[in-house]
Amino acid sequence: MTGVSYLAVAPEIILTAGAVVVLMVDVFARPSSRVHGWLVSATYALVAIAIGFQWRRVDLDGPGVSFGGTLLLNHLSVTVRAILLVATVLGTAAAWRMLVGLRRRAAEGIALIMVATVGFMLMGASADLVMTFVALEVGSIALYVLAGIMRSSPAGDEAAMKYFLLGAFASAIFIYGGALVYAATGSTDVNEIAARLSGVHVTRPAVLLIGVGLIVVGLGFKVTAAPFHSWAPDVYQGAPSGVVGFMAAVAKIGGFAALINILTGGFERYSGAWGDGLALIAAASVTLGTLLAIQQSDVRRMLAYSGVAHAGFILTGLAAGLVGISGVMFYVATYSVMVVGAFAAVTAVSGQANTGSSFEEYRGLARRSPVVAAVLATLMIAMSGMPLTTGFIGKFQVFTSAWEGGYEWLVITGLLASVAAFFFYLRLVVVMYFRGDEGAETTLVVARSIRWVLVVAAGASVALGIFPGPLLDLLNGVGV
Amino acid sequence: MSGFSTLTALILVPVAGAVIVMLIPERRRELVRPLGVVLSLVPVPLAGGLFLAFERGEAGFQFVERSVWIERLGVGWHLGVDGISLLLVVLTTVLVPVALAASGAIEHRVRLFVAMNLLLEAGLIGVFLSLDLFLFFVFFEAILIPMAFIIGIWGSENRIYAAVKFFLYTALGSALMLAGIIALALIHREQLGDLSFSYLGMLDLDLGHSTQRWLFGAFVVAFAIKVPVFPLHTWLPDAHVEAPTAGSVLLAGVLLKLGTYGLLRFNLPLFPEATLDFVPLLATLAVVGVIYGAVVAIVQPDLKKLVAYSSVSHLGFIVLGTFALTSQSLEGSVVQMINHGLTTGALFLLVGMIYERRHTKLIADFGGLASSMPVFAGMFLFIAFASIGLPGLNGFVGEFLILVGSYPTLPVYTVLAATGVILAAVYLLWAYERVFTGEITDPANRQVSDLSIGETLVFVPLVALIIVLGVYPKVALDVIGPSTDAVLERVEATTGYEAPEPGGSDLVASGSGG
Repeated sequence: MTGVSYLAVAPEIILTAGAVVVLMVDVFARPSSRVHGWLVSATYALVAIAIGFQWRRVDLDGPGVSFGGTLLLNHLSVTVRAILLVATVLGTAAAWRMLVGLRRRAAEGIALIMVATVGFMLMGASADLVMTFVALEVGSIALYVLAGIMRSSPAGDEAAMKYFLLGAFASAIFIYGGALVYAATGSTDVNEIAARLSGVHVTRPAVLLIGVGLIVVGLGFKVTAAPFHSWAPDVYQGAPSGVVGFMAAVAKIGGFAALINILTGGFERYSGAWGDGLALIAAASVTLGTLLAIQQSDVRRMLAYSGVAHAGFILTGLAAGLVGISGVMFYVATYSVMVVGAFAAVTAVSGQANTGSSFEEYRGLARRSPVVAAVLATLMIAMSGMPLTTGFIGKFQVFTSAWEGGYEWLVITGLLASVAAFFFYLRLVVVMYFRGDEGAETTLVVARSIRWVLVVAAGASVALGIFPGPLLDLLNGVGV
Repeated sequence: MSGFSTLTALILVPVAGAVIVMLIPERRRELVRPLGVVLSLVPVPLAGGLFLAFERGEAGFQFVERSVWIERLGVGWHLGVDGISLLLVVLTTVLVPVALAASGAIEHRVRLFVAMNLLLEAGLIGVFLSLDLFLFFVFFEAILIPMAFIIGIWGSENRIYAAVKFFLYTALGSALMLAGIIALALIHREQLGDLSFSYLGMLDLDLGHSTQRWLFGAFVVAFAIKVPVFPLHTWLPDAHVEAPTAGSVLLAGVLLKLGTYGLLRFNLPLFPEATLDFVPLLATLAVVGVIYGAVVAIVQPDLKKLVAYSSVSHLGFIVLGTFALTSQSLEGSVVQMINHGLTTGALFLLVGMIYERRHTKLIADFGGLASSMPVFAGMFLFIAFASIGLPGLNGFVGEFLILVGSYPTLPVYTVLAATGVILAAVYLLWAYERVFTGEITDPANRQVSDLSIGETLVFVPLVALIIVLGVYPKVALDVIGPSTDAVLERVEATTGYEAPEPGGSDLVASGSGG
């Protein structure tokens, strides 16, 4: 039970080793970007193999815990790792031009991406509030630095600073919540908490309630749920667009995984109470996110607010408790791919730097670059939840779970918000396709790595939207 | 099973066509539209074959195909066709090649245009064939994208406003329907054990009266916006006026029928008790639509808007017939769906052709055109007569069946709606008078060329169907009757409702046939 299983952390060990090797090679040689490319590819390939072994182990031996009960090895944690790996591979490819452009500091950027992934992977596996906090900080700090990695840009510095201050604040809220839960239950181990809460009269219900509430708030910050979302637009706008998609994706994946682990692991008994709480946050997120996204004139800010709305949709599925988890993971996985792809397209159009990316820049894009326009349109349509895309399947699942869980009002709110959301997703399509027949016919040159990300993201969003069967089968075991 | 996978082919052939068109290299762009027309003709024999092989006198679904699509979510690829959907499928396959053939004015981004039309066709056929509510919703929603593109890229000045309005309006309706579909699927699991969206399974559910009302409401909003039922019609004039000709033809010809089809396919059979509750409301809105649409059409200075508002009026008849709940009125509604598709489609083609020549659609800019373009004028008059419901042409059959069928159950509504027939004669014939008769005052109207041979040929299938359905409606009624009667029987069997005996149905059918 409390043994040490190195397989349980194999992906993290490999990634950390990969980060160290990249940094060390950089110190002793002056590797070309090609060498970096090989090192990164090898690391990711090894991580993929390790995840495969983990999945097999869980299939054969069932779920287990290790490292003194702090780390879970179950289908959910392995799935989270797999989703994170996909987001990281795509994110690295999308950021590659920017990383190479950093020249001497390319290795730093690569290592930071890997370390961030390690942090969020551990978050998905953690069954202990302290472990979750450590993992959260590992991932978050790497992201703060990534946001400011292009030192030359004041906007990037501002974004990094803002992200750091508000993020640290959120982490503090989280750990304070953890402390209150410890005060009420005498443990930080979620399984232990669940055991102590069952059957025993809780002497300090208010302390417990506030503790859980603060944990939700802290994680709500990380996943950009309203009303804890205010940092997201500034950071998404200011940080280098190459890494924004990655940042948005991994923080959400890790944050939601931690929410699931803690709430369903430790407080399943009170699922009615936190379900209502999550439902309220979900409703606030979908409405605020959608309404604010409508008003944006910058594509990156629009995507930031749309991310708030998506966090709300994911919470809609989570509010229903265990029944919704496989649908939630489907949503998280497919949204991650979409958001990395969308920011890759933004990078292709607006460049790596943070010069702003107003809707005007996308005018007539269908002429200048049919591929980027088609991909971006596909991703917008997918994010809006139109049928035949993963966005629809994801929304359908979270709505079904929420309806089943008795949150009919939340489903209706979500559906109406989805309609309003068509307005801003469609706006980008309108700008790209319906306007700008006249004007410059300069063709847009897109880097090969970004083109690859675009095609994969859009292709997956459509292919898995039409034939979601395999992914649904894979995720089906996650909830148990 | 005969006709195995014909239905799937009907959906996939246009999709394949769209892919083929997009693969044509840019330098061979002159090939795009002709090839598009040819590709869009492929489904015609498929649908024609279905029509011939269709077992008459059979109420249930035929050529049924069923396989699993998304197993975990209980979604099936479940297709079938009955008397209500068969002719709508045939209509769709006929109108798409006509619309593409008449789109010579589209000069930029032709590949995308043809591809979008073909994707639209696939979606429309999919809606009519789906026997799984999830699948139905997928198609119902998916068609918004090609239609919004068609309006938004190739429309006139205000196209973007119209495209976005069209999209948001109709998406709003379907959002609530999705909630209804989810609720139905969960009730299905509760009562029958498995999560399923099967239409036939839904018919076996035991829904309480208040549940029925909620679900009826969720579905009816989606369909009422699509029809559109007054007062939800405001997106329609914008969409029609801004859309290119092909878009208007398919919008009026087929897209609006999704609403009336949905009412007949889902609202009546699935929620019969609620249907009876809602009859007064919907019949009132239908009649208001009939009269309002006609009156507004009379005063329109713009020819295209006139036709658009005439649609609101005509569709009101169909909704009235649907909720009058008699054998003839239901039959008449389905016939009128086809008729409206043919005549309004043809009217939009005519308006489009005259716009290409004169770059105006204002009635005041014309006058005396009959002398410069006699064939065109004759065609317009013929189609106008069909639309008004001149005996011997198709419009008469539908309107007569609806009025005769609706009178026993909704006498007052029917009498009021009947004025719409007269008003239709007013707006169409008055428009004809102002556009075609008299002296030519504007010299520009003297130079206009008449219909070319190619343009005339485009009308041939429509005119032929208008005459066939007018003279020998039995071909359609034999197909439609059993299925609409089955809907009615279901309403009667599950509620205390009793429809009046179908007295004149055969009389009408054989009367206008002979």
